[in-house]
Amino acid sequence: MVSPILLIAVPLGLAFITPLLGLARKGAPRYVPAVAMLFNLLVSVSLLPDALRAPIVVRTAGWAPPFSIHLVAGPLGLLLSSLIALIGLLVAVYGMDYIREGATTRYHVLSILILVGATGVVLTGDVFNLFVFFEILCISSYALVAYWGDSASVEAGAKYLIQGAIGSSFVLIGIGLLYGAFGALSMADIAANVSSVSSFRLFVSLAFLITGFGVEAAVFPLNAWLPDAHSSAPSSISAILSGIAIKAGIYAVARVVYTIYGAQSILPFVALLSVATLLIGEMCAFSQNDIKRLLAYSSIGQMGLIVFGLAMASATGVSAALFVVISHALAKALLFLASGYMILRTGSREVSSLNGMGTRMPLTSLCFTVGAFSLVGLPPFVGFASKFMIVRAALETADTFFVVLLAIALIGTVIEGAYFLRIVQGLYFKPAPQQAREETRKEPPLSALVPVGVLAALIVAVGLYPGLVERALGAAANDLLDRDSYVQNVMGD
Amino acid sequence: MSLLSPSIHYVGCFSLVLIGLYVVLVKPNLIKVIIGINLMDTGVNLFLVTVGYIQGGTAPIFSEAARQPEGMVDPVPQALVLTAIVIGVSVLALALALTIRVYGHYGTLDLRKIKGLRW
Repeated sequence: MVSPILLIAVPLGLAFITPLLGLARKGAPRYVPAVAMLFNLLVSVSLLPDALRAPIVVRTAGWAPPFSIHLVAGPLGLLLSSLIALIGLLVAVYGMDYIREGATTRYHVLSILILVGATGVVLTGDVFNLFVFFEILCISSYALVAYWGDSASVEAGAKYLIQGAIGSSFVLIGIGLLYGAFGALSMADIAANVSSVSSFRLFVSLAFLITGFGVEAAVFPLNAWLPDAHSSAPSSISAILSGIAIKAGIYAVARVVYTIYGAQSILPFVALLSVATLLIGEMCAFSQNDIKRLLAYSSIGQMGLIVFGLAMASATGVSAALFVVISHALAKALLFLASGYMILRTGSREVSSLNGMGTRMPLTSLCFTVGAFSLVGLPPFVGFASKFMIVRAALETADTFFVVLLAIALIGTVIEGAYFLRIVQGLYFKPAPQQAREETRKEPPLSALVPVGVLAALIVAVGLYPGLVERALGAAANDLLDRDSYVQNVMGD
Repeated sequence: MSLLSPSIHYVGCFSLVLIGLYVVLVKPNLIKVIIGINLMDTGVNLFLVTVGYIQGGTAPIFSEAARQPEGMVDPVPQALVLTAIVIGVSVLALALALTIRVYGHYGTLDLRKIKGLRW
């Protein structure tokens, strides 16, 4: 059996070798991210069956927890790391031809680092390590948001950096408070002793941690950076940011709230925030004319739905939220990747410039439509299955509070349907603009069509057979909710 | 004064954090905002060191076999601070690099005038 530590070590090593490879052979760096992520995908998927039986705890330097820095590759961690590796691999293949200008070698290094950061966040079992991997993720994403170097992307990068840096400081204060209270950094150790400290001290540290991680997770009212950052980044990076980076933030929040604190009492407040996030995201998306900003706001809306599922604190609710994580990652990555080449061909990010694309770039438009329908939640796509599970979970709680919030959340879905169907109508039923350039008739190269096609196929496949992921989802939800067995697995022998 | 003296370090750290936060929120100049972020970082790092500090403690180095661990400060927060400082420096470097580019595009560092993006 391979050690899960390789999931972090190998891509990290490859990332720093990349510039040297670039010196040896000029075209080499662009293949490195794909190799690294292919490795991660194979290892994650091969470890998943073992992790479903019992979480794999990796000790570093021979020290047993709670003293070591350890990795906990449980069902949730490996499920998410597989997802990160899958999206990362497809985006890396896409990026081979899409990224032609600028400092391409540095782009490839940073794009590996952002994925390593996310993988580390979901696998670590140590609070401070969580912060460090989080910073790797954040710092590389600040740099990548500003990659094009034009005025909009530099400004978005600066804004994102300022807000992210404040968030990180808050996380660090929270960790300091935790260390002051428990003298430990291992999540399992803290979780085991959490009842020994007064609830006020716990609340203060929890508030700092949630606020800090909430910035990256784009929970209202901490999401002002997201639409700028996601829309100004290169499309391949937007796909990673929307598909993975904000999920890493939400994972950190969930891990802290459920595993470390077991703080069920703040969840109604979180549920209110989530529905506010959802409605604000969807309403802002509705009024956008810029396709990438529209997709970015729609990500905020979907994050609201994920947090709503998590806030139910029932096994079904959490599995439903994780299902939305998967369906949103697939669909949003697909939409950003597909729109990347549409924007490149038309030279405009206006929604109206996509009119008539259905006849000019038929394959890309078809995949875009699949992604859009999946996000809205039309059967037989994966979005339907995941949203249906959220509805089922909310009704199962039999709590008026959640049922009312669910009704409001479904209004958000209606708004979502309105703007996505408008775009799809434009793609197929509206004539192309008069001055449309002749080159807009060209389909993107194979390196872009394949990832987009694979994503579309996965959306349909998982949508038709939700059983493919259901067992892993159930185990992952259990991993998050069952604190006692988490502590036992880590501290164990 | 006697009320504050046992926790005077904490008051100092959190004052730094709050001053930094104030600067970030209020000052319109991008460089000042970055200075504010740095002040916050410094406050947080001080706070982390303070968490592991013991009044009159020594360095946790067992130079003689007879040394007892009592009276030694906790080394873990100091290791954390080293990491946090490195992270802070890289964020600072990136922030300043971005600031140069922002100035190149807009010709100003006044955040009220840098409004290429909107809601």
